[in-house]
Amino acid sequence: MNRALCSRAYLLCFSKSKSLPFEWMDRAIKLQLSTSEMNYFPDEVIEHIFDFIASHRDRNSISLVSKSWHKIERYSRHQVFIGNCYAISPERLIRRFPCLRSLTLKGKPHFADFNLVPHEWGGFLHPWIDALSKARVGLEELRLKRMVVSDESLELLSRSFVSFKSLVLVSCDGFTTNGLASIAANCRNLRELDLQENEIDDHRGQWLNCFPDSCTTLVSLNFACLEGEINLSALERLVARSPNLKSLKVNRAVPLDALTRLMSCAPQLVDLGVGCYENEPEAESFDSLMAAIKKCTLLRSLSGFSEVAPVCLTAFYPICENLTSLNLSYAAEIQGNHLIEFVQFCKRLQLLWILDSIGDKGLEVVASSCKELQELRVFPSDPHDEEDNNTAVTEVGLVAISAGCPKLHSILYFCKQMTNAALITVAKNCPNFIRFRLCILEPTKPDHITSQSLDEGFGAIVQFCKGLRRLSVSGLLTDKVFLYIGMYAEQLEMLSIAFAGDTDKGMLYVLNGCKKLRKLEIRDSPFGNAALLADVGKYETMRSLWMSSCEVTLGGCKRLARNAPWLNVEIINENENGRMERNEEDEREKVDKLYLYRTVVGTRKDAPPCVTIL
Amino acid sequence: MEKGGVEHEITELRLGLPGRDVTEKMMKKRGFTEMIMTSSGSNSDESGVVSGGDVEKINESPAAKSEVVGWPPVCSYRRKNNCKEAWTTKVGLGYVKVSMDGVPYLRKIDLGSSQDYDDLAFALDKLFGVRGIGVALKDGDNCEYVTIYEDKDGDWMLAGDVPWGMFIESCKRLRIMKRSDATGFGLQPRGVDE
Repeated sequence: MNRALCSRAYLLCFSKSKSLPFEWMDRAIKLQLSTSEMNYFPDEVIEHIFDFIASHRDRNSISLVSKSWHKIERYSRHQVFIGNCYAISPERLIRRFPCLRSLTLKGKPHFADFNLVPHEWGGFLHPWIDALSKARVGLEELRLKRMVVSDESLELLSRSFVSFKSLVLVSCDGFTTNGLASIAANCRNLRELDLQENEIDDHRGQWLNCFPDSCTTLVSLNFACLEGEINLSALERLVARSPNLKSLKVNRAVPLDALTRLMSCAPQLVDLGVGCYENEPEAESFDSLMAAIKKCTLLRSLSGFSEVAPVCLTAFYPICENLTSLNLSYAAEIQGNHLIEFVQFCKRLQLLWILDSIGDKGLEVVASSCKELQELRVFPSDPHDEEDNNTAVTEVGLVAISAGCPKLHSILYFCKQMTNAALITVAKNCPNFIRFRLCILEPTKPDHITSQSLDEGFGAIVQFCKGLRRLSVSGLLTDKVFLYIGMYAEQLEMLSIAFAGDTDKGMLYVLNGCKKLRKLEIRDSPFGNAALLADVGKYETMRSLWMSSCEVTLGGCKRLARNAPWLNVEIINENENGRMERNEEDEREKVDKLYLYRTVVGTRKDAPPCVTIL
Repeated sequence: MEKGGVEHEITELRLGLPGRDVTEKMMKKRGFTEMIMTSSGSNSDESGVVSGGDVEKINESPAAKSEVVGWPPVCSYRRKNNCKEAWTTKVGLGYVKVSMDGVPYLRKIDLGSSQDYDDLAFALDKLFGVRGIGVALKDGDNCEYVTIYEDKDGDWMLAGDVPWGMFIESCKRLRIMKRSDATGFGLQPRGVDE
């Protein structure tokens, strides 16, 4: 594998650089190079070659080849991805990669999105900023997901890194608009401020005003998740002085005429997030909006539209043919027929996020119109089935999409019902799926025609989609589906299971079969200690395992922790009593939530009382 | 599970195929639902048959649907900003959804900004650009439309009967129906007058 990597690097290098001496280019062509031969090259050359290898996994592999490669790779690594912030400490990270410029950190486990993880669980940013600041790392980019961020951290960040360019926060919380004000005020070279789905305490202050007049470098600004008012004239002035602005996503406090003005002074926009316009606009406002939209000939991506009168969507007709990305998944006000009318003209769409109010009929229209579609997400407009909703989507829509969109590789689909026959058809239509997430709203619901389990349907998915990397299953499922997954899902990296399986065998099939498994998350399934403890070494090859409301007991978890000191085994217990009383422990007691992950830095010190680390 | 008799098992409603252990586990999660179902089960005579007004009502209330924590897996940000749940917080501020038969989209109206039924009538007329809705509130029987509302208990009532103050406190949403469709809709009776 290393040889293949080198060859690739050489080829890249050769094709891009004309400045290497002839004898080296000659060697590059001869792909039989071994690593020892390569060591005759000066370090700078090797480093130059490594520059072409961007994927952090490839770089991790390179660093294992030899001591000298490890060293060269270390100093030339600028982008680091940390999938679990507790797997390593900031100090160790900086020691290894002192020339770090771009850092991605992920904190809470995925199920935190669904309120299964207590708020105070952890994932604090501050220690990282503190360490990076003290070590004077030249940080330029920070991307965070499910981390707890404080205003203090943001302020420290804004003051510590002169070249800081890009801050992307996804599903984070713990900060207010005051923190944003620090970023705006102090980051002189800021290019990107992207806030996605965060819980931000909005003080309705003047954070936008804090961008100095000298700030003209913005390329991307997304504050759609902020709830409060903003200073509209400050925003307009900021946009007007940002000629490089490509992406602008505003929040609901930006009214229609303001949006029109913004678009008029930024016709170069590629990506637009629209605010909230309940009432139908006056004819004049609507015409101005449409005129401004027509000028945005580079616009390719559209989102927002929460609480928007449907007529506002029609203002975008002039550019809908150019759209490659459309996110209407927050547009609860726009009924199915309006959605269909719009989407049918979006012939170049590659990404579509939409509500199930589009219906099966709507998906059939998508299937016949959007031949370039690669990623589809259909969200439930009525998750608890409170209304008698006949327009939600079913297996019919899914089959239509699979038949009509040959480039489809990622899907997230919430629906009320499914059949094995449909899943088998979908699997055969779309063997190129990388991500397949199906959520049938009612847990353990069987095939609605045959009343059988959906084992065969999902079995077909893993059998035909040989490149499948992510899978979420739902509906009525027995151990058999996991036998199929273990047997066929060779590339599977992430698996989400809920209300499925019969015995420990189910989980064992997966652990034994899926060699590339990195993340396994299970809830409300009858898997217990036997499955948990069968192969402790497996967890060293994985990032993490989550099990909640399963059959594992405290005794089982303790045994695991004893046998695997390289793991952090966390028990999350949300009773009022907090940390478990020593003398009341019963090893046979079932554990409510278990989260384990590999780490090189041992037990974390910042766990709250509801978390016990064994 | 509780040590009830066979009676409890038979009358217990399950989501999956009968006899599956997993549904029992799920039932544990919904403690409230369990209480309702087993208590109504012990009251009914038929086995497994859901009968009587009480149990039907339960099936309509949110607690009976699978209100399992974190299910379906829609992230909390999206739930807050999109789902019907988000609407209930708005009711407190006076906004309610208004739908009108024949009109493809929902509108919202701020009940707090109207003083009485006359005001509301005027506002509704303006909202949909259709005259005559307001008349329904005042005259009752002489026009094409009927304005009904869903109250806190989930019942649909004819708008205009109860005192204004009571109305705005209990109104969750409004619907403007064609009179011809209204009969047989299942409106709650007007009360003592009927």
